[in-house]
Amino acid sequence: MKRRNFLKGILYGTGATAALVGGFGTFSKHSPLKAGATRAEGEEATVFSACEMCRNQCPIAVKVKDGKVCKIEGHPDDTAFGGVICARGNAGPSLLYDPQRIKKPMIRTGERGEGKFKEVSWDEAYTYITDKLYNVKDQFGGEAIALASRKGPHDWFFRSIGRALGSPNVFSHEATCPMTRSVALDTTFGTEGIQADYANTKYLISIGRNWFEGIHVAQTRAVSKALSKGAKLVVLDPRFSITAAKGEWLPIKGTTDLAFVMAMANIMIEENLYDQDFITHYSEGFEKWAEEVKDKTPEWAEKETGISKDTIIRITREFAAAKPNAILDFGWRTAYTPNDYQLRRAILIVNMMIGNLEVPGGYYKTKPANFLKNFPDLAGNAEGLGGVAQPGFPTPIKGRIDGTGVKGTPGQIIPAYDGAVGKIIESILTEEPYPIRAWLVHRFNPYISLTDSPRVLEAFKKLDLLVTCDVYMTDTAYFSDVILPECTYLERYEPIFDMSGLTPKYVIRQPAVPLVYPDTKPYWQIYKELGERMGLGDYFGFEDMADFINQQLAPTRLTFEKMKEIGVWTPSGMKGFYIRENDSKASLDNVLSTPSKKIEIFSEHVEEATKQGVPNYFSHPQPEEGTFRFVQGKVAVHTNAGTANVPILNELMPTNTLWMNPVSCRKLDLKDGDDIVISAGNYEQKGKLKMTEGIRPDSVFCYHGFGRISPELKRAFGKGINGNNLISNEIGIVGNAVTSTTFVRVRKA
Amino acid sequence: MDNSLVAELYLSFAAIFHRPNQDVSNHLEELIDLWSDVIPEIESIQKLTAFCKQLPPGEERLNALWEHYIPLFETGMVEASPYASVYLGKEGLVLGKEASNVKRFYTKCGYVMGEKSGELPDHLAVELEFCALLAQNGQDDLLKDFSTKHLEPFLKCILPRIKTSGRPVYSEVAKILEVRLLNLQKEGDFVG
Ligand code: SF4
Repeated sequence: MKRRNFLKGILYGTGATAALVGGFGTFSKHSPLKAGATRAEGEEATVFSACEMCRNQCPIAVKVKDGKVCKIEGHPDDTAFGGVICARGNAGPSLLYDPQRIKKPMIRTGERGEGKFKEVSWDEAYTYITDKLYNVKDQFGGEAIALASRKGPHDWFFRSIGRALGSPNVFSHEATCPMTRSVALDTTFGTEGIQADYANTKYLISIGRNWFEGIHVAQTRAVSKALSKGAKLVVLDPRFSITAAKGEWLPIKGTTDLAFVMAMANIMIEENLYDQDFITHYSEGFEKWAEEVKDKTPEWAEKETGISKDTIIRITREFAAAKPNAILDFGWRTAYTPNDYQLRRAILIVNMMIGNLEVPGGYYKTKPANFLKNFPDLAGNAEGLGGVAQPGFPTPIKGRIDGTGVKGTPGQIIPAYDGAVGKIIESILTEEPYPIRAWLVHRFNPYISLTDSPRVLEAFKKLDLLVTCDVYMTDTAYFSDVILPECTYLERYEPIFDMSGLTPKYVIRQPAVPLVYPDTKPYWQIYKELGERMGLGDYFGFEDMADFINQQLAPTRLTFEKMKEIGVWTPSGMKGFYIRENDSKASLDNVLSTPSKKIEIFSEHVEEATKQGVPNYFSHPQPEEGTFRFVQGKVAVHTNAGTANVPILNELMPTNTLWMNPVSCRKLDLKDGDDIVISAGNYEQKGKLKMTEGIRPDSVFCYHGFGRISPELKRAFGKGINGNNLISNEIGIVGNAVTSTTFVRVRKA
Repeated sequence: MDNSLVAELYLSFAAIFHRPNQDVSNHLEELIDLWSDVIPEIESIQKLTAFCKQLPPGEERLNALWEHYIPLFETGMVEASPYASVYLGKEGLVLGKEASNVKRFYTKCGYVMGEKSGELPDHLAVELEFCALLAQNGQDDLLKDFSTKHLEPFLKCILPRIKTSGRPVYSEVAKILEVRLLNLQKEGDFVG
């Protein structure tokens, strides 16, 4: 082509590039017919949807003006959420309109971690992934492909890819968060569907749970409501959290919570404070538990926990006096120690000792439509959601890398849906029991969420394929081969989700505005298109999300249009109920799904899996002079690994600090605001010191989610301490992460 | 300067600031030729020529452009966000008031952004391409109006950022565009 013929060709449409009105095809002639499609100036609308700034999916009312999201409020008709949302929910628009979001699919062009990418079409991205995945499958088998994501409505679509390839290695992030609680619920009640009725409780004991910083709007409101009605709150935590500030703070020695809980049981038995009728009627194995706690006296617990025996006795008596409207909370991020599942089991058992199941202010089974079928008077209130049929998935040739489901081993009680996600790293690096060669990651950031971050990076480097689907170039995306740009929750439809609590409840997520970046896509479309490219289209038997939702709603009396209009549905006029509210001997057969149909204080399953059918105490080491227990926690304005780069939230809290008690600061000659180095073994992190009475002298604390290494997270990059960089990749008995057994040293930088 | 040359100039800048593609990457020499005709003395021309010599047309050159385009404009680092709203609005976010303002201007001039364009209305390349269209069609008054009200305030914010990024090709083209802008202002001749 001669000089400038190229540009002329583009301008006048004579070159290789087709042009509608000259140029690169960006513009076309204005068509008056299409003008009506744009919203009139000043037009305002409210779109009911669900938040996704964390996993709680609070129902929201999105205010749209001139086609732009201008504000987000809570859904006014949802009584549990009360029309309010948290700071993170409020920050949704700043994520939506963030110039730093990923806008196009990308493929790596440089070395892994070098940060060199090119943008490609979706077609090229799908083809690349397809070729690589089939190469791995052909060479190493489908089991060499792992998938991991946060739990959520995307699972059905994302997981279908892995399962259709014959991989057993599909994981949720739960092992890094509440999985030990799930194990305890499963093995004690036979179901994970148990919730706490905070709003009506009279006495609430938290073991590290922090409702006012680890916010779940409905639960935080419920706890506030209980407190405003005069409930007492006791908080066991090495750190003075915001929640501790609202009650009695017991600065317990880290990892000794189980001693406190077992001493409570001991006192309740010794002083006959427990509900014998309830235990006899509904449970089995109590005598084994009584035997186990016989020597777990308050005196013994004082030595273990650092809490005086008088306090332990007083708290236990107060708790028992409030029975059955009292809650010893079962926790949220429950991954403190390797045997954390036994702490959670013990917590549930002590709750059952006051008979607080299916009563107001205690624990209750969630009551979705299918549960109501057991109650003829109530069955007519709701019908369960339908689903989209899928052909059978191929049976994996090999077992899972984490041993989930293997009888006679701890794997027997790991929830199959979740698995031990930390094992992916071990499998990649050690090739035991066999190597993982390809890893698909959906809105999950193993670098920040898994412990031993440097080892996570090492693992990334060994992979044949790493694919990340996210809204930002996260630390994990930065090391990926392919990055798929997902649109935000404010731009997409999703399957209806069942959020039943005391009554059935369905919630829709729908777009408030069209795609801001036109080449981003909702996850369901991404995995459907990828599946089709891979020849797995049969697993995605729906046209689009409208079709999917219509298939879900088919058995109900609801329609897609209705759900769009109301956002949240609960059966009108139906009141929540507790099965034992008016009849303390009412049958719990519909609640309990254990093999014995009883509350299994002694569990045969657990005995078979871990040889500890009732919780045993194991004393974990305490820090020696000069070292500190390292603990982490959530902050109200960020969601774990997810929001450090969201403009408004980053502005509210761009970094974290290391909390240290003044007594320890003086010993180390450190002052508030000092630059420090925190070390654990070979690992080091730099940060700033916060001197505060709000932490035990033998412990240090930092908020989780900082210390990001992707330069592409421009606001968050290089700021603060990544706690997981200091914690070794110890995997707990039931596959859980272990977050509270690391000791660190601290020095001036 | 006749309208078609003005249009070619605007289009040449738009070509660079659009996402890299093989076609434009392969014809970089041609764009450099054009700029050296209009602004012969500038050092940037030599640097651009050297870049082309080092990386002949082909995939390697395209990948080199991507390597710098992404952190400069696209994702994460975004050293110089290519959207006018980010600079001309209060919140530093996309799709602010300026995006609707330029969109309205496009409509007023008889254009809309095609559904498949895949870009926001106040993207640097889109605004430059729009100027090329106006110039090509001889809509001089509108071009002057658009340039004064929209393009120039935007360029004043973004060009210094692109220049100081030191990113090959992009920082040099920003310098050329800035000189071109200054020349136009000096001449009082916004349409060339
Ligand atoms: S708790 Fe906050 S961030 Fe989480 S879903 Fe609810 S409003 Fe959104």
